[in-house]
Amino acid sequence: MIAPVNVSRRVFLKSGAAVAVALSAGGIRLEAYASENAQEVFAGWVEVKPDNSILILFPSTEMGQGSETALPQILADELDADWDQVSIQQLDEDDRRFGNPAFGKILYTAGSSAVYGYFDVLRQAGATLRDMIRTRAAAEWEVDTATVATGKNRVTHAPSGRSMTYGEVVALPDFTETALLTPATLKTHEQYTLIGKRVPRRDIPAKSTGKAQYAIDVRVPDMLYATVLRSPVEGESVASLNDEKARATRDVVDVVTLPDGVAVMAKTLHASFAGRAALDVRWTETSPFRKYSSTATLAAYTKAAEGKADGAAWSTHGDVKAGLARASRSFDAVYTSDYAYHAQIEPMAAVASVDADGKGAEIWVGTQTQSWTTRTATEVLGTTPDRIRLNMMTMGGGFGRRTELMQNYLRDALLCSKKANQPVKVVWSREDDLKFGAFRPAAAQYLKAGIDDNGVLTVLHHRVATPSVIEYFNPIRWQQVDPNDIISMRGAESKFYDIPDFLAEHIKTERHARILPWRGIGAAYTSFAAEAFLDEVATEAGVDPLDFRRSIMENNARGTALIDRVEEMAASVPLAEGRGRGFAFAGYGDTQAAGIVEISVNESAGTIRVHHVWIAVDAGQIVSPDNALNQIEGGVLWGVSSALFERVTITDGQVDQQNFFNYTILRNNQSPAIDVYVAENNEKPTQIGEAGNPLVPPAIANAFFALTGRRIRHQPLTPDRVREALA
Amino acid sequence: MISFTLNGKKVETDADPDTMLLIFLREELGLTGTKYGCGAAMCGACMIHMQGAPMFSCQITLARVAGMNIKTIEGLSENDDHPLQKAWIEEQVPQCGYCQSGQIMRAAALLDSNESPSEEEIRNWMSSNLCRCGTYNRIVKAVQRAASEMSS
Ligand code: FES
Ligand code: FES
Repeated sequence: MIAPVNVSRRVFLKSGAAVAVALSAGGIRLEAYASENAQEVFAGWVEVKPDNSILILFPSTEMGQGSETALPQILADELDADWDQVSIQQLDEDDRRFGNPAFGKILYTAGSSAVYGYFDVLRQAGATLRDMIRTRAAAEWEVDTATVATGKNRVTHAPSGRSMTYGEVVALPDFTETALLTPATLKTHEQYTLIGKRVPRRDIPAKSTGKAQYAIDVRVPDMLYATVLRSPVEGESVASLNDEKARATRDVVDVVTLPDGVAVMAKTLHASFAGRAALDVRWTETSPFRKYSSTATLAAYTKAAEGKADGAAWSTHGDVKAGLARASRSFDAVYTSDYAYHAQIEPMAAVASVDADGKGAEIWVGTQTQSWTTRTATEVLGTTPDRIRLNMMTMGGGFGRRTELMQNYLRDALLCSKKANQPVKVVWSREDDLKFGAFRPAAAQYLKAGIDDNGVLTVLHHRVATPSVIEYFNPIRWQQVDPNDIISMRGAESKFYDIPDFLAEHIKTERHARILPWRGIGAAYTSFAAEAFLDEVATEAGVDPLDFRRSIMENNARGTALIDRVEEMAASVPLAEGRGRGFAFAGYGDTQAAGIVEISVNESAGTIRVHHVWIAVDAGQIVSPDNALNQIEGGVLWGVSSALFERVTITDGQVDQQNFFNYTILRNNQSPAIDVYVAENNEKPTQIGEAGNPLVPPAIANAFFALTGRRIRHQPLTPDRVREALA
Repeated sequence: MISFTLNGKKVETDADPDTMLLIFLREELGLTGTKYGCGAAMCGACMIHMQGAPMFSCQITLARVAGMNIKTIEGLSENDDHPLQKAWIEEQVPQCGYCQSGQIMRAAALLDSNESPSEEEIRNWMSSNLCRCGTYNRIVKAVQRAASEMSS
């Protein structure tokens, strides 16, 4: 047996070892800070030890987006730390002092929010400690603080030639009493030494050698394995069970009935799968979900989108009715999109070791939220957070999959471990992960637009018929935000454009499948509809699609600069024979992006090939430039994959697809060349991780029109739809 | 009793001969660098070398492995310094990293037989391996970098 991993990583927050940054009360001018309580803000973020090493807390979780390096980089820069002396510590508890400012201090890694959410607080924490170190050093040398400089873990007083390491300073008597009489001074962007510089990601060596440990890799002593046979239709449970054969399988230890399934616990994973295959279960077969099939669902959503009933206004200004009445010409169209699956390559897995009294547990799991993982455990065990010991594992992809309030993979591990009185690892097979996945919702959208005599867009009405994702995956949150569902609606606000009369509304439809946030959330389909539709309107108006956007972006200099840039980038490569290009302008949240794609079509096979993607992105100050490129490239490929292939269908409440042979995602030899431009500026940082994908599907649809003269208004653009469009 | 050679060392086991090599490596031996992604020869996360050839370890039972020579990511290099591993770090390829052991093992088998593959050869060869994070273009660059390092 290999030694268990990550037995406990909680030392940092609890120990007062060395010198933690606890500002002495009264020593700081609180009013100068964003928070009312600076001590709360800074305590625990960073620790400088007498040996001159630095420990920085990483409050998010890592799923490939690179925040594990980028966030500490921000703090280390303001601290003037020697990056080589910095180690990084995962926050392994639901400690809201470190909560994500972009999510009301919930520990929640989603919405591409880590850098922009934490940027200010990390800078302030780093700068505060740096100024404390300078102040204490100045006192020691009896010189004016202003004459003490910092750099690379060192304070220096040039006039006298004296210098100390940070470690030496924090070891001086009374360091923790060091009071700052003025608020810490933040660097100007010219002074950055790490922010915006190429700093290699800390997690990459372990991920290049097979050493990175994911939840599915965790092994602890005496651990059992469990796999779960789950009710094939949502909302059903076991009606009758014959587990005789399963129990007789070699190495099977026990069979447990769960709320919506049956778990087979065994000494080996092989035996658990074998035992599961031998189960004989009848389900209640009473669920209303049995009557849902995705084709009918989408037809119902389409009817709702085209209907007259008002939805919840998501974004509105002016008056669309009056605007449409005034318009010189108007157009409308319906766009649809199917369910899509996350397809993260690590299937869901969790390890739980429940305490003997059943009221506490140690947990190893990869999720996007310490808060909801802790809550899942306390709800399942009927206990309090202090009894839960978390190990937040690096994730084999997140993309929204691991965000739910109630995490049933973890629930099952807890229930099994409690029953077995042993640690248990629950592993989902790929088939489980797909069949019991939770998807980007199916959506139907009705759009109506009007232009004036100059061919300028003056009015846009965008109706999105789709269920509320938040209501399902986080009912607590829904109570706070109802009826505004950012997960279902993001992107529909078309906020980078000036459109005098505008309304985006959410026609909340009945939920017919499990749904979750999915990379790009609403923008993954609202931008498809809006940007493909604007291309239609531009064509009808006889205006170049780029100029059409420019004419509604007169107050958006950063956005138009991206259009100019991407136009230039694509123009540097001549359009190849038999290919077409399409444009779209989207982005995510506050990040703007303009893109051009080049495609060709195999008419008989009905396949679209994407050859080249040019994309220009403005996400404000970039913390980690090379990683930003990697994220944008990844986002672009996600967009290509979703536009061309990705489609979950449901028949009588059951998912039809099983594995990667019938849920197809993009492969290496289908990937386009990608040229990325990232604007360099020092504006507030905004989202990166989901900025790349929303514009890709509409750009492909627009390129398809440019090449063939036909529109496809249904995502993905599958071969049957391509052939139908060309017929 | 089944015995085979794993990363240069002899392994003997009385585990169920129907056990898939992937599960045996990961759960019995703790060699978790090799990943489970699909169990269906569709993703390549489980890629290992058997007799020097790249194989999906999710498709090979222990019974088939008897007497064979198996190499996993843990045995690819002595000090984690295979030119591909260095190139992966240099090009900052991984995002979530979950697919990358399989990608590297797949690429290593290519470079064993083709010193300077073209971009198209690399892409086609690497298409057995899925990367959901979308690192394909960096993978190509890293393979090219490793190839030129190995031939220089
Ligand atoms: S796990 Fe073997 S190919 Fe996917
Ligand atoms: S790096 Fe995440 S799947 Fe490849």
